[in-house]
Amino acid sequence: MAPTIQYYCPCLSGYPIQTPPPPHMPSSSASFHPLHSLFFCEECDAVRCNRCVSVEVSGYYCPNCLFEVPSASVRAEKNRCARNCFSCPICRTTLSVVASDPPNEDDLPGPASISTVGEPPFFLYCNHCRWDSAEVGITFEKPTGLAAQLQKFEDSAAESLEFERLKEHFEPFLRTSSLSSSSHMPSLASHSLHTSSVTAAASAALARDIPGVSKYNPHTRSRAGRDRTVNKDEMPEYKSRVEMGLFNQLGSGGDEGDVDFMTHIETASEVAKLEQRWGNSWVSSLKTSDLRPLRIPLHSKVSKRCPTCRHILIKPEQKAQSVRYKIKLVAANYLPAITVALPHTHDVSRRIQSKTPASTEDKQTIIMAGKSYPFHLALTNPLYDPIQVRLSVQRMHVTAATDGTAPDKARRTPFAVSLPTSPFPVAAFAEAWEYDDDEDMFGLEDDELGLEPVGKTSRDRDGRGKIKTVGVLERRANVTIVGGEVVIGKEARGHVKFNMLVSYTYRSDDPLPSEDGAGTPSRVIAKAPEVKTFTFYTVVDLGPITPREESKVEPEI
Amino acid sequence: MDAPVYYSKAEFIETDTGNKVSRRATIAGPQNIILGGKTIISSGAIIRGDLRRTGPGHAVVISLGRYCLIGEGCVMRPPYKTYRGNFNYYPMKIGDHVHIGANSVIEAATIGNHVIIGKNCVIGKFTIIKDCAQIADNTVVPPNTVIPALAMFSGSPGCFIEDLPESTQEMVEAQTKQYYTRFQPLDR
Ligand SMILES: [Zn+2]
Ligand SMILES: [Zn+2]
Ligand SMILES: [Zn+2]
Ligand SMILES: [Zn+2]
Repeated sequence: MAPTIQYYCPCLSGYPIQTPPPPHMPSSSASFHPLHSLFFCEECDAVRCNRCVSVEVSGYYCPNCLFEVPSASVRAEKNRCARNCFSCPICRTTLSVVASDPPNEDDLPGPASISTVGEPPFFLYCNHCRWDSAEVGITFEKPTGLAAQLQKFEDSAAESLEFERLKEHFEPFLRTSSLSSSSHMPSLASHSLHTSSVTAAASAALARDIPGVSKYNPHTRSRAGRDRTVNKDEMPEYKSRVEMGLFNQLGSGGDEGDVDFMTHIETASEVAKLEQRWGNSWVSSLKTSDLRPLRIPLHSKVSKRCPTCRHILIKPEQKAQSVRYKIKLVAANYLPAITVALPHTHDVSRRIQSKTPASTEDKQTIIMAGKSYPFHLALTNPLYDPIQVRLSVQRMHVTAATDGTAPDKARRTPFAVSLPTSPFPVAAFAEAWEYDDDEDMFGLEDDELGLEPVGKTSRDRDGRGKIKTVGVLERRANVTIVGGEVVIGKEARGHVKFNMLVSYTYRSDDPLPSEDGAGTPSRVIAKAPEVKTFTFYTVVDLGPITPREESKVEPEI
Repeated sequence: MDAPVYYSKAEFIETDTGNKVSRRATIAGPQNIILGGKTIISSGAIIRGDLRRTGPGHAVVISLGRYCLIGEGCVMRPPYKTYRGNFNYYPMKIGDHVHIGANSVIEAATIGNHVIIGKNCVIGKFTIIKDCAQIADNTVVPPNTVIPALAMFSGSPGCFIEDLPESTQEMVEAQTKQYYTRFQPLDR
């Protein structure tokens, strides 16, 4: 596993504590994210993540035909594509509409495609698993308007009708409550008030006797109970037109029919898998042979807002397949990008290697207990101004015997990390470097903030080399590479993982005109030159430690 | 930081526009293939520019944009079908900044810009892959699949897994440019 670095979003830490959890706690992973997935709110001067931003749908589209569905029809069409897009009930592949033409000799497996004019009846065919809808008795006279025909079938289900009646029942109440609350309440408060009264009303209406299920009685929550009585006064009581017992006959499961089916199955594939069933809107039968094609669920484009100040961080362009944004405030445009490497794993003789995000690196990083290793941190400055960076390792409050199982000794001093102690510069980002096609990587001579890069120099512990390991190693374009060192304890186990505090100062003496809303990589400060500091946490994972016992057995790398 | 990826200077032909094509790749019908520049065709790749639409004249069968990478052992074959009784091949168009991992077989109709396809994938006939989409290693995408922009697909059959981050375009662009820079000749 290649070393990784992730950035901290403080949204999960209780206010006012802004420090991340220790890196070895399982909860730590929830607070750290790759830089490219984070946002930056200029208003709050803070990092935001996908966990804390508020999300609003800005448009719907079908992921197969890419049709942009107006939000008005999304509801009527039940969030699924109303054109000719269906997914295979067995494997989820998009189904093709095919005609019953005699099979073409040239064609490889599969019936004639829709493009040949075709003879009825038409049916849906899976190009991947060869399921076809004729097997389950679904054929069509015409190859168009299939979704409408299937939706008719969906909508006539007893559960669907019951749901519609419930919606109808609540409609007038929803309308009046939203009107009254929106008139004099701020939007956020009205929203929560509105939903709480509606859910209370809904639960009141739904809390009718179900045979075999004892009624849920929340004794302790007296306030909820009071709400319910208030709403009961406003709402007429809801009377279901479907007997509860009826749903069991529709295949909601657990009855004798299912038992009988299960005792007579010959292959496991006769039983529909969970993932084949849970996409269905209503309860469905256990049998694979009862599965029906599904209209493809719509996807959405979303805008994202800062949870604190409500400013927009992400606003996509309207067109569904556009990858452009009207507003895009991503952290990568504000915070230096950091990559980590263990130089002892570099294998220069390696030949062409395709680099894909999902591929697992084939190089083996081996960190052995009782040894010390240099590591490199490359910092890339996205700002149009030079920055001064200071790195430090977060103090670890290692309490002895955290879980009682691991030996205390190993827990206490697994490893020690050295980082450059003085601040070092990273030169400004310049457009030219990007467009001049990367070949011209050259070093920068002077540091514009007037501070010399003085790195603390230390020697390799084993005394094998005299090269500087801790300090600034290289500066080119807007990248500075610094070296650090980690000394692994003799009894160490687990991962070499530590929280690193990154603090950078920047200044803007010639404010560039802001081009547009789409993420200006420069912090524009209108007034006189000013030095500002921004601090954030990261977690660095250099990889697993190979314990000593094993390392003896391991052959040399 | 980023270690160079060395190749033998003798193995690759470099064009005026910076394309680097391995002599160990099979380029059939080169007159029907367009490379946008700074595109790398790795050793063992097979590009079937010879499978062209029937009829007279010159036809572009496979076009690749800038900063693409066709991994080792990839097969790029234009899609075909029988339409109104006539068997025909159809062109394959691939945008800029597209990386295709080793040993993948591609029969797509169009692949947009900033697309990354993993190793050992099968991309079925007439597949349409929109901008900034990604296909994980070992994915089998059935014929005629549409992969929307910024979608991550994985599995067999390839299914939608998640939406990719908003900064995917910049990341892929940086990655593909960096790869081209790292791809260095070694005299020997
Ligand atoms: Zn957050
Ligand atoms: Zn559709
Ligand atoms: Zn299928
Ligand atoms: Zn904010």
